[in-house]
Amino acid sequence: MWGIGQAAVSAAARGYDIMAMAETAPRAAEAQSFERASFTGSASEYFGIWIVNVLLTIVTLGIYSAWAKVRRMRYFYGNTVILDRAFEYHATGKQIFIGRLIVTAFLIVLNIGTAIFPPIGIITPIVILVALPWLIKRSLRFNARVTSYRNVRFDFVGTAGGAFVAILLGSFVAFISFGILAPLASRWTWRYVFNNLRYGDRPFASDPQLGRLYGVWILPALIVFLGSIVFGFIAFIVIIGAAAVMRESAELTSAQMTVLSIAGLYAGLFIYFILYGIAGLFYRAGVRNVAWSAAELDGHHQLVSDISRLRYAWIAISNVIVTVLTLGLMRPWAAVRMARYVNEHTGIRINGDPGEILSSIEASGAAISAEYMDMEGFDFGF
Amino acid sequence: MGIATGEWHPANSSRAIPAVLREDGILLVAAEEERVLASAVPERTEISPRVGSIPRRVSFPDGSVFETRDNDGIDTYLRGKRGARSGLIHRLEQFHPRLILMTLAVILLATTIYRFAVPVLVEVAVLVTPPFVPELIGSGTLASLDRTILKPSELPEGERQAISEGFSKLATHSKGGQGAYDLYFRDGVIGPNAFALPDGSLILTDDLVKLANGDREMILGVLGHEIAHVEGEHSLRQLYRAAGVAALVMLIAGDVGSGVEDILTQGGALVALSYSRAAEAEADRRSVELMRAAGYDPAALARFFVVLEDKLGDHGDASILSSHPGTPQRQQDIRNYAAELEGRLQAR
Repeated sequence: MWGIGQAAVSAAARGYDIMAMAETAPRAAEAQSFERASFTGSASEYFGIWIVNVLLTIVTLGIYSAWAKVRRMRYFYGNTVILDRAFEYHATGKQIFIGRLIVTAFLIVLNIGTAIFPPIGIITPIVILVALPWLIKRSLRFNARVTSYRNVRFDFVGTAGGAFVAILLGSFVAFISFGILAPLASRWTWRYVFNNLRYGDRPFASDPQLGRLYGVWILPALIVFLGSIVFGFIAFIVIIGAAAVMRESAELTSAQMTVLSIAGLYAGLFIYFILYGIAGLFYRAGVRNVAWSAAELDGHHQLVSDISRLRYAWIAISNVIVTVLTLGLMRPWAAVRMARYVNEHTGIRINGDPGEILSSIEASGAAISAEYMDMEGFDFGF
Repeated sequence: MGIATGEWHPANSSRAIPAVLREDGILLVAAEEERVLASAVPERTEISPRVGSIPRRVSFPDGSVFETRDNDGIDTYLRGKRGARSGLIHRLEQFHPRLILMTLAVILLATTIYRFAVPVLVEVAVLVTPPFVPELIGSGTLASLDRTILKPSELPEGERQAISEGFSKLATHSKGGQGAYDLYFRDGVIGPNAFALPDGSLILTDDLVKLANGDREMILGVLGHEIAHVEGEHSLRQLYRAAGVAALVMLIAGDVGSGVEDILTQGGALVALSYSRAAEAEADRRSVELMRAAGYDPAALARFFVVLEDKLGDHGDASILSSHPGTPQRQQDIRNYAAELEGRLQAR
């Protein structure tokens, strides 16, 4: 699985001079090399980890869930391999448990507080809203700092103000414009994420172009728009048909209309849920491609994401169906399947010799310590 | 001789040097050929626990790290040092027929939680809910319904007056008393309908009043049923049940995927809109009690179901569309309960 790395190690063990090998390496590597990530885990291996996580979480009344999360994350990070090296997840169960304990304690205190002094309940949502950008920032920083690749940690230097604009204001703008301004929000979010991300002492940067984001927005927008027209038309036919039937038999009354309209309401909600869900998958994959492909590490190594939107949507939808039909038992298979697809369509174009460049990266001062001071509490997936 | 082969990284550096991990006297040593890169007594090193077959890390006190894919080599070393107990969780996780037993245990436990723990949690949540929560839900829902699907009532003032008076009589006999409930008359696209919000607001549509065709007792029977939903805090319970199940699934399964997460949260919200069968049956019985106490026909609600049955053709024993028990069954239950109450009082 470790391919080249293992070969190098055994070569060293046999007594070859590594330095001499490096000197005779072809100079062509100097130009550009494109490396794809891969996923080396398997569904059967992950099933065991997952089912033990579930069992121990139940048996310990939820306490083990923090340690379960660490095992899950370590499995997925540790099997995400690029340039023959895996990522590593460093958070400890205790850290995550303490974070969750703080949040739970806060909620309990809040509940008791409101029971004694009700006005606290009115200001709580406001306080949480104000604190949210700060929590998002902390969570992103925590997740970056507990991630390493080749023994060098990631770091996140974004501010709470940045999180407010990128996440909260962005979601708000996308929501009130019925999704028309969603690409603007996506641009803010991904700029915030990438431009504040560091790998050791090297910065990431991404400036996804609005034009490209709108390019991947058109298809999902059409799905919602045309889908609504088609289903609206079907609903119209059904209503006309129902009205015709009603004229035929005087027996049918407004009571029947109720059942029809309530069933129609549910069907309408359901269809919108499905339409938005599918459009969301297409959009998410498209935006990921644009944002990642616009991102660079250290100014000249370009990240690449070339997910096929149709394939991504198919994997996501069939995963949900299989997971639900098997009451969750096929979830490990679904998770591994998705991780494999996404990893295999993510890569980096390195300018120069990958070995040399990767060896020259050192941890920056900030990321070395301090991560033990952070709490997690919330999870935000991007 | 060596424990495992792999790579050694200096502290905080991505530089990788091929190395061997070995025991040297009492020391654990990472070495490149004969050159010692890092060494420490085993107690001061940290070896990451095994997860699947991902690389293992041996961290030295100077911050340097030895990394290897030779999990078995490390495990053999650890078993020799710490005994058979090391790596217990990993051994449980291995693909083995034992996993079938664990899966069965999980299914059994999950069913038990759903059947017994969820109802208890819901009761606890209802108990600790501060009163302003139902107030907020109620006023918010009514305001948004008024903006979307409801219109002001077009019933004659006298008709509304008469129904309101009867409603007050019913409410006087309820737990919260008259002050706990407000009756709102509305018109709209939802047809003949009456429903209760958790704060005690009851909404009655013009179509239902028309459907009753002058039978006010029947309308009051329906209102008694809705009062019972508020008294029993049924909508709050349903809300907590949906939210609780979603939260438990996410906590226990850890990561269910964003698609299933959406179904749990959004689908849960839809489920929260309807009452359970048990809640409906309870509300039917309570309507009988309230109507009786207010001096009306206790079984008036049954007449509503007769009308529904006639107009809708709902003759089935249980309708497929909803969790509501079939109306013929409900009529019978209402009449039986009214008779039972009658009998009980006469026997006294």
